[in-house]
Amino acid sequence: MTTSAGANPLEVALEILEGGVLTTVQDAGRPDWTHLGVPESGAADAWSLTVANLLAGNEPGAAALELTLAGPTLAIHHPIRIGLAGADLGARIRGGRRLLPGRSHHLRAGDLVEFIADPAADRDLGLRVYLAVRGGIDVPIVLGSRSTCLAGGFGGFAGRALRAGDRLGSGNHASGDHASGRPAQGTGGPASAELVWPAADRPVRSGSPGPRPSVLRVLAGPASGLDALAAAAWRVAAAADRVGVRLEGASLPPGIGGETTTQGVSWGAIQVPPDGRPIVLGADHQVTGGYRVVGVVISADLPILGQLRPGAAVRLVEVDRVTAVAALREQRAAFLAAAAALVEAAGWDALVDSAGG
Amino acid sequence: MAEAGRAADEATDRLPAETVAAKVTFVAFGDAALLISAATDRSAGLASWSGMVAAAIDDARLNTPAIGRPVPTHASILVPFDPLALDLDDAIRIARDATASVANPPQASATKPDPGAAWPPLVEIAVRYGGADGPDLDLVSDAVGLRPADVVELHAEARYRVLFLGFAPGFAYLGGLPSALVMARRRSPRERVPAGSVAIAGEETAVYPLAMPGGWRLIGRTDAVLFDPGADPPARLRAGMEVRFVPVTRT
Repeated sequence: MTTSAGANPLEVALEILEGGVLTTVQDAGRPDWTHLGVPESGAADAWSLTVANLLAGNEPGAAALELTLAGPTLAIHHPIRIGLAGADLGARIRGGRRLLPGRSHHLRAGDLVEFIADPAADRDLGLRVYLAVRGGIDVPIVLGSRSTCLAGGFGGFAGRALRAGDRLGSGNHASGDHASGRPAQGTGGPASAELVWPAADRPVRSGSPGPRPSVLRVLAGPASGLDALAAAAWRVAAAADRVGVRLEGASLPPGIGGETTTQGVSWGAIQVPPDGRPIVLGADHQVTGGYRVVGVVISADLPILGQLRPGAAVRLVEVDRVTAVAALREQRAAFLAAAAALVEAAGWDALVDSAGG
Repeated sequence: MAEAGRAADEATDRLPAETVAAKVTFVAFGDAALLISAATDRSAGLASWSGMVAAAIDDARLNTPAIGRPVPTHASILVPFDPLALDLDDAIRIARDATASVANPPQASATKPDPGAAWPPLVEIAVRYGGADGPDLDLVSDAVGLRPADVVELHAEARYRVLFLGFAPGFAYLGGLPSALVMARRRSPRERVPAGSVAIAGEETAVYPLAMPGGWRLIGRTDAVLFDPGADPPARLRAGMEVRFVPVTRT
C-alpha cells in the first residue's frame, strides 16, 4: 500500500520529492477540442519545450515537465539523458554540478535534482524551464495530447500539478527508437556527450523584474485602443498564471475596456475588462471571452509571454502583419538551423527526421 | 427591460438571409486567426448560423490542414490558421466560401425550432432546485418578483437549444431562457461553483460541467456528467441539441 501514484516501479525514471510551485506535464498542446470548450494547454513557452526535447533526443513535441518559478526536487531512478531549456531556475544535482538550461545532461540513478535560485546571478531569469527526459514523459494521451488541463482536471499526470510521491516513467518517444518501440533508457546511443543548443536557448529579451522591459509585439484589433496600451509602461501583476497574465501600473483613458458579446479568443489576445486592467491570455486561456480585445501578441513573441514573471516590466509595441509573419518565419528558420547544427554535433541521424521535417 | 430585450431578439430572428449575409465581416485576429462576425445589433438567433459556418469550415479543413478548429459563438466564428502555411487573404477567401455555402442563415431563434427540421433527440437533465443545490434561487426569486416555485416551473417548462460550447470543457450555453428570468450575472464571481450546478445569467442558462470559478446565478444542481474526457464524444451536449430540465425531489 502506498500513497504515491504513477508508473510501475520497474519503469520509474524519476520521482517527485517536492512538487515546486507548479510542475506539470506539457507537450505541444491540445488544439483540436476548442469547440467543446477545452483549452489548448501545452507548454507556455513552446520554443523552450521544443529545445529541451531536441536536447534530450526526443520528438519536438514530446511530453516534458514544465517547472515554474521555484522548481521541484526530483529523485532519478534510472540513468537518463535530460534536456533543459528556458529560464535558469538554478537547477543542480544535490552535492554536485549545476545543470544549465540550453544543454543536455546525463543523470545517474540516485541523483537528486534540485532548484536553488541565485538571486544575484541573473537579472534575466524568466519564469519557466522545461525538463525533457529521453523518451518523453510517459502519461496517457487524453483528447490527443499528454498536456495537463488544470481547469478540466484531466491529461498530464492525473490531471493535476505534480506533488511529492508522484512517480513518472519515460516513454518511447525518443526520435531514434520508433522502429523497435523499446523504451529509451538513458545514456545509450552515439550522443553520450553533453549537447549545447547552438543558439540562444529562448527568444526572451528580458523576463524579470529589472531595468529593461520585455517587449511584446502586438497586432491591433479587433477593438480599438491599442495605442493607449502601447503608450503606457506595464508591470506583470501577481495574478499571472497559465490562463493569463494581468498587467498593471498604468491607468487607461476611460472607454477602452468593456464587455462584448462572447466570442472565440486566442492565445496572446489582450483583453481589457471594464476596470481597464489588461489581461494577456496564456496557453490555458478559456476558448471564449466576453471582454474587448484590443490586440493580439504576435506568435513569435508568445514564448516571451510564457516567461514573464510577476513584477516584470513590459512594453507593448504595435507592429503590422508583415512584420509579425516575418518574425515567425525568421524564428522558425533560426530554430531549424540550430536543430541541424545540434544533429551534426550529436552525430544523431534520427533527429533530422523529426526536427527537419 | 427583459421584455424589450426579447423583442429585439425576435426582430433579429426575422432578418432575411441576404441581410445577415451582407453584414458578415472578416477581420484578422492576431497573426494566426481571423474572426468572422455577423455584425447585427442583436446576436440572439444567430448561434445556429455560426455553428453551420463552423461546420463548413471544418469541411474545408480536410483540404486545407493549415486551418485549425473553428470556434463558433453567438454571432461569430474564430478561425485559427498557420500564418506560415496560409496567407491571410487565402484564409479569408476560404472563410468567405464557407460562409457563402451556408445558404440560409437561420431565421428561427434558439427558442423556436424549425418545425420541419430534423433535430437531435431531446436531452433531459434531472435537477434538484433550490436549497444548498441552488443557493441563488431565493435571490433570483426576489429579483424577478416571482415565487421560488414559479421560478423553478418557468425554468423547467422551457425548451432550450445548445447555442455553442465555451468558457470551460463541456460548458454549453443554452438559449431560450424565459424572459421573466433574465438577470445579470454576479458582480464578482464565486471562487468555486460545484460541478453540476444549474445556473442562469443574462438570456441563457447552463450547467457547470466541472467545479470552477463562476459568476452565474445558481438555482439547482444535477448529477448528470456533462464532460468526460474519456468518453466519445467527451461533451454530452453539442450545438443544436435541445435540452429540458426535469425537477426532481431529494431522496
